Amino acid sequence: MSHDVVQAEVTRPPVGLPVLIEARGVGMRYPGVIALDGVDIKLRAGEIHALLGENGAGKSTLIGLLSGISTPDSGELFVDGVKQHFNSAKQAQALGISTIYQEQTLAPDLTVVQNVYFGRELRRGLLLDEGAMRRRVESLCGEFGLTAADLDSPVGALGALKQHVVQILKALAFDARVVILDEPTSGLEESERQLLFEHMGRLRDRGVALLWVTHRLDELFGLADVITVLRDSRLVASVNPAEHSPDSLVRLMVGRKRSEGEHLRVHDRSERIQSNSREEFIRLEHVSRYPLLRDISLSIRRGEILGLAGIAGAGRTELGRIILGADRPDSGSLFLDGKEVTIRSPRHATRLGISMVPEERKTQSILGTMSIANNISITDLGKVSRNNIVLDRRRENRLAKEAIRDLGIKSSSEQQKIVNLSGGNQQKAIVARCLFSGPSLMIFDEPTQGVDVAAKTDIYRLIYDFVDKGGAAVVISSELPELLHLSDRIAVMREGRLVDELAGVDRPGCLGSESEIAETIMAMAAREAGHSAAADTKEEMA
Amino acid sequence: MSARERLVRIASIDGLPIAAALVAAAVFFTAASPFFLTGENIRNLLIQSVFVILLAAGMTYVLIVGGIDLSVGSTTGLSAAMTLMTIMNGAPWPVGILAGIGTGVVVGVINGFFIAILQINAFIVTLATLSIGAGALQVITSGTQLTGVDSETFLALTKGNILGIPTGLVITLVIIALLEWVLLATPYGRSLFAVGTNPQAAFLAGTSIRRANFSVYLLSGVIAGAAGVLLASHLNSVQPGLGQGYELSAIAAAVLGGIALSGGRGSVWRSLIGALFLATLSQGLQLVGVDPLWFNIVTGASIVIAVAFDRATQHFIAGQLRSLARKQSHDISGGGLEAEALRSPAAAAPIEVQPAGAGNHEITSGARNI
Repeated sequence: MSHDVVQAEVTRPPVGLPVLIEARGVGMRYPGVIALDGVDIKLRAGEIHALLGENGAGKSTLIGLLSGISTPDSGELFVDGVKQHFNSAKQAQALGISTIYQEQTLAPDLTVVQNVYFGRELRRGLLLDEGAMRRRVESLCGEFGLTAADLDSPVGALGALKQHVVQILKALAFDARVVILDEPTSGLEESERQLLFEHMGRLRDRGVALLWVTHRLDELFGLADVITVLRDSRLVASVNPAEHSPDSLVRLMVGRKRSEGEHLRVHDRSERIQSNSREEFIRLEHVSRYPLLRDISLSIRRGEILGLAGIAGAGRTELGRIILGADRPDSGSLFLDGKEVTIRSPRHATRLGISMVPEERKTQSILGTMSIANNISITDLGKVSRNNIVLDRRRENRLAKEAIRDLGIKSSSEQQKIVNLSGGNQQKAIVARCLFSGPSLMIFDEPTQGVDVAAKTDIYRLIYDFVDKGGAAVVISSELPELLHLSDRIAVMREGRLVDELAGVDRPGCLGSESEIAETIMAMAAREAGHSAAADTKEEMA
Repeated sequence: MSARERLVRIASIDGLPIAAALVAAAVFFTAASPFFLTGENIRNLLIQSVFVILLAAGMTYVLIVGGIDLSVGSTTGLSAAMTLMTIMNGAPWPVGILAGIGTGVVVGVINGFFIAILQINAFIVTLATLSIGAGALQVITSGTQLTGVDSETFLALTKGNILGIPTGLVITLVIIALLEWVLLATPYGRSLFAVGTNPQAAFLAGTSIRRANFSVYLLSGVIAGAAGVLLASHLNSVQPGLGQGYELSAIAAAVLGGIALSGGRGSVWRSLIGALFLATLSQGLQLVGVDPLWFNIVTGASIVIAVAFDRATQHFIAGQLRSLARKQSHDISGGGLEAEALRSPAAAAPIEVQPAGAGNHEITSGARNI
């Protein structure tokens, strides 16, 4: 591949920096999914190496392989030029590789010193060597802004930045030479972020190799020495930031997914009426639920697919849950067919004609040990009962059979347990469940996650059929090509706010080609909101 | 159908292991004691077990939604006291019955309020109401002598016969049949299974978890109240500590009936068999002259063995299904999605692993009171 050439840097000649860890052609497969495919990466001492990619591009898998949590199916790992085969995170740690995860892995009730040495306490005979542990932490902490008083307070009482510092100390106390940071700036305020960047600079000066995963493109420049971009589980390139801009990085991340775009065109939508002539089904006005949703106003019309774009944590699922009545808004109003409503619960929403295909199939959708028929009829048991009192099994089975046939669910019978279906067929059964109550609005949260290509196409067709019959659909998806082709309108969310709205590919008012829209969306969704968001928060607090 | 498939099919019949265990125990005691299979003995056995049978039926509802109700034993005792006290104070017997059942309603509403509405852990809440109920019973029984009402009709609730069958047993069987029917044949029963199987999924699909939870604790309370009324009629006296430990027997009976403590599985009918097994065991041991000191140990051990046998059967079924699927996918090239899915670990899903330690602890300690 060409990236070796690209990597020849201007600012830091690679000759002087030893490669601490190198992956050559590492790959990882799960049943039906290729999570990582032949990726090469080199981390050098005293270098900050940024790792970029969309959701699902393979960043987490790569981190997992480098930190010893999982073992690659193919390819090789070298540490200091020696081939290694990690079976556990402990082995990687022993070689000086430390990982700081997005979710805090600290014990909130223990002190800083206890956390730093947690599970690896220094001992003197049978007793803990408290003095030695404290001295070591003290010698490290000054540089990173922790005071002596902080050392004895429980970690849970420290702020997000200081907790990151504790993680850094934890790595340094055991002479980490490679530190992997998984979105370290999420949850930090602007000023704290700058401090963290300074800390990262200090680690670099100590000769530590840093691998830095981030979604925020603006913050890379001036700090990262190398940027590696992953897309669709593959390596796109390792580049020198000096030769790039946020826009050109977005292009690398999104790429041109022509082949994938093709199968999305399962439906000719050109004949469809213009979206502004359709009647509105639901309207949200200034809906907020702090801190995840702020001042959302939007309307969804019958016969239309509204896409919700944004990075993880932008508040898309939370918005879906508000519409479904699973959560109540703190403020703002909802209007259904022009009349103000309070949606009290998903049960109430179902009666109002709203249903949702949830994001996590296993934990939020399927009733695993129950049959397909029982899974489908659960949204409207009245429909399969006589006088709402006695279940009519024959009717239930007949309607389930019809749904299985209409939606093309591959199964031995409607009595089969839903856990024994493949992911795609489970998802279709969940769509059948939502359709069963005859909804006017369906919310699809990551409808094709973990679903094979054939089932994907089927699910797209189901969504189109639903809106063609006058239904309103909301699609939440992290796969941009999917979103671009399905949606008539795409609302972009960032940090709980609606930032913009654009037309989907080939829809009236469409701004350009698929990749151009994708770039616009990525730029809006990932743009550093930093200062303005912090200022807004203060306003709201006041 | 091959012999192997037939075997799998037979082994898959719900409740077969515990039913087999019940028959085996009955056969053993019949052989060991000439007094076991006599009308008198069977009658005694059944009358004495109606209380645990009823509580196990209510407990089945609670366990299906993934909850637990430890308060039913003490509620039964308290309800019995309230019933007798009301009748002894001159009220007509139907009012006494209402007082007993009302006691159950009150406890059920309290449990339901804290568990379903305030979402406090069911174990904690019902442990507290167990303690409060037992304490209330002590307070009541310390002041007054609760012995003897002379309402013939009330006493006939357990002493009389309908078509030669003890009235108490008839009442119990009617309640059991009704509860099983509601569970299997109504939308309400179905929603309980959905909530127990996956509360998050049931909630997002439009089922009210709060309603399901509240209703099962209310029902369990009402059933405990009814059991208390029958107990009052049966004993015609109340002492402190009455009903204590019944909750553990009820849980043990449900577990023997193959219920999953994690929720989503269970049937009133199978819990009934479980309760009968426990009753048969204690009655039988008495008849064959085992030292009563050994009862608890034998009962506890047999519970563990019976449950282990049930799990082993399910493991066997899952294994056989997987190997049949493998065979089919070899026979038919391409295999098919189902065979694929059956081979995956998910096919082993029906095997419910006992929640570590805790479940067994409840079961074995339950034996103390059987």
